[in-house]
Amino acid sequence: MGEKKIIAIYGKGGIGKSSTASNVAAACADEGYKVMIIGCDPKSDSSITLLGGKRIPTILDLMRQKIEIKEEDIVFEGYGGVQCVEVGGPEPGIGCAGRGIIVAIQKLSKISKSMDDMDLIIYDVPGDIVCGGFVAPIRKGLVTEAYILTSGEYMPLYAANNICKGLAKINTPLSGIICNSRTVTREEDIVGKFSEEIGSNMIAFIPKMQIVQDCERDGFSVLEKAPDSEIAEVYRGLARAIMSNNSTVMPKALADERLRELTR
Amino acid sequence: MAEKHISIIHPRPSSIVAALYTLRDLNVDVAILHGPPGCSFKHARLLEEDGIHVLTTALDENGFVFGGREELSSLLQKTNEMFNPKLIGVVGTCASMIIGEELREPIQDADLDVPVIGVEVHAGYPNNTKGVLIALESAEDIGIIDGEELERQRHLLTEATNVEKRHGAASKEYLVPSRGDVKYKVAGRIIELLKDGKKGVTIMNAKKETGYMFADISVAVNEVAKKLGKEENIVNMANVDDSLGLPRVRDHAKNIMAGFEKNGTIIHENIGGMDEYPVTGELVTGIIKEKYADYDFAVITGVPHAIPMDSFSGMEVISVTNGPRQVHPLKDMGHKYVVVEIDLHPKTLGVNEIVESEFGATIRELAKDMLD
Ligand SMILES: Nc1ncnc2c1ncn2[C@@H]1O[C@H](COP(=O)(O)OP(=O)(O)O)[C@@H](O)[C@H]1O
Ligand SMILES: [Mg+2]
Repeated sequence: MGEKKIIAIYGKGGIGKSSTASNVAAACADEGYKVMIIGCDPKSDSSITLLGGKRIPTILDLMRQKIEIKEEDIVFEGYGGVQCVEVGGPEPGIGCAGRGIIVAIQKLSKISKSMDDMDLIIYDVPGDIVCGGFVAPIRKGLVTEAYILTSGEYMPLYAANNICKGLAKINTPLSGIICNSRTVTREEDIVGKFSEEIGSNMIAFIPKMQIVQDCERDGFSVLEKAPDSEIAEVYRGLARAIMSNNSTVMPKALADERLRELTR
Repeated sequence: MAEKHISIIHPRPSSIVAALYTLRDLNVDVAILHGPPGCSFKHARLLEEDGIHVLTTALDENGFVFGGREELSSLLQKTNEMFNPKLIGVVGTCASMIIGEELREPIQDADLDVPVIGVEVHAGYPNNTKGVLIALESAEDIGIIDGEELERQRHLLTEATNVEKRHGAASKEYLVPSRGDVKYKVAGRIIELLKDGKKGVTIMNAKKETGYMFADISVAVNEVAKKLGKEENIVNMANVDDSLGLPRVRDHAKNIMAGFEKNGTIIHENIGGMDEYPVTGELVTGIIKEKYADYDFAVITGVPHAIPMDSFSGMEVISVTNGPRQVHPLKDMGHKYVVVEIDLHPKTLGVNEIVESEFGATIRELAKDMLD
């Protein structure tokens, strides 16, 4: 089953990284892949729709209690056998969440054997990379492929463009742009052009659909709750695209002028 | 004048440690480091020799992630029970400050009757005097010192930094340490000068407690002069004004002056408080120009590089420092001999009278051989 893929999906906060990650994880699991999702957001909301709406204890929850952590304490099986892990974080405004991610990921790599057998590991990172800890998965050489999720609006594209700069700086190649639609005019066109001009390509266009949020509200992915929906098929397509993708590029960010032109 | 820019490539004295020493000078009974257990270990131990307790909240990997508010407030309470302190200091560290720890709240949580000085400091300041300043500002905040003393200290710190930039440890990117000239040779030279009836000034320009040992050198020179019946050829200056500075620093001045008196060393010129070593230069220059311009040699101890060279035109300058990295800058200034009292500082902690220096002992021993 090919090489193991370890990916991270970047993009502006709220653009849909976590919901895309969990739907892709579910779709890949449906295809028979062994998948793990590692939520790196202190909000711990990456795996919740794979676990029927339940929250799991986070790595940092357990570290805070100073108990010896075993793999089964932090790795939980969700929909389709997806292995779910949440890093967690300190209380908002106290301590250092960035350091927390670094420590938790070190801990996880040390105690998790199942990581080795995975076909796909998805790191779901927060949108705002406010300090070094939030890029730790990439910096530590854990992530081999990065994707950027954006809509056709100016701000998400602006964030995407900045992420391109960041990736180039830390020498991590980009595997593709995913458009998560906000039903902006000419959206597919805009994101397609952007992808092309930074040297990459748009590997999927996910329409904006109420059903994503409805399933999420009930604690499920669309793959589980609405497998026959149109959008479930889109996620399957994205899953296949990711699993078969082996072209990466070093993205070159656009000048802000050009970015504005694109979205005008 | 544009300041010459020197990049820092060599570790510098730590602002955290500077804050600890300042708390000591403010006579705290306990200082608590809020941070990892290894931070400032060596200085913490040294300060314990000096009679204060130094504790740590011992933040670990968990502490870095979750913060240590509770650890700090409970350690404050424990401290209060264990040591019955009258004044406590809490000092930040790099780790706790970077993760955004705040000292005021845990101090409030502990709810002690004892005043607590919270010093939010890390070691990321190029000049460690910043640590002193933050400590003093925090002390003023809670009324331990007044605004006037704070201003005075602020001025002294700026001058101390300037002294280091001009001719001290901050004058070059990298300073090669040196043990200086051989003590035996330099001691011999001083005895020779005295024997030849040359006139000399001794200047102790010491930083706080280091005076306990530098004073011994002035005493030794005077002993030899007396032995030769040449006492009147020696003039002594020292910064031992006991009416200036933080409480502990005044005590040092009192103790050292008492030591001079006990040994029969007359201090002809009291050149300032024991924290005034960076600003004595001008005064010393004036005094020498006015009264002692025709003298033949000078023995300067403590912070010799704070005294400008133009004070000593025509004199043979012998200096004694405790900084191996101060040797080359002093030679560059034009000092003929530079002696290093290695590891002086630890020997001056926890004492309240003049302690023997290696150079003083060498002068005394050699004088026995040469003169008896
Ligand atoms: N294609 C979509 N259609 C409809 N709603 C979506 C879509 N993608 C994401 N959402 C919704 O947007 C919100 C934010 O998404 P989320 O995945 O939490 O963003 P991020 O992880 O980037 O911060 C969620 O309520 C999610 O259900
Ligand atoms: Mg998210």
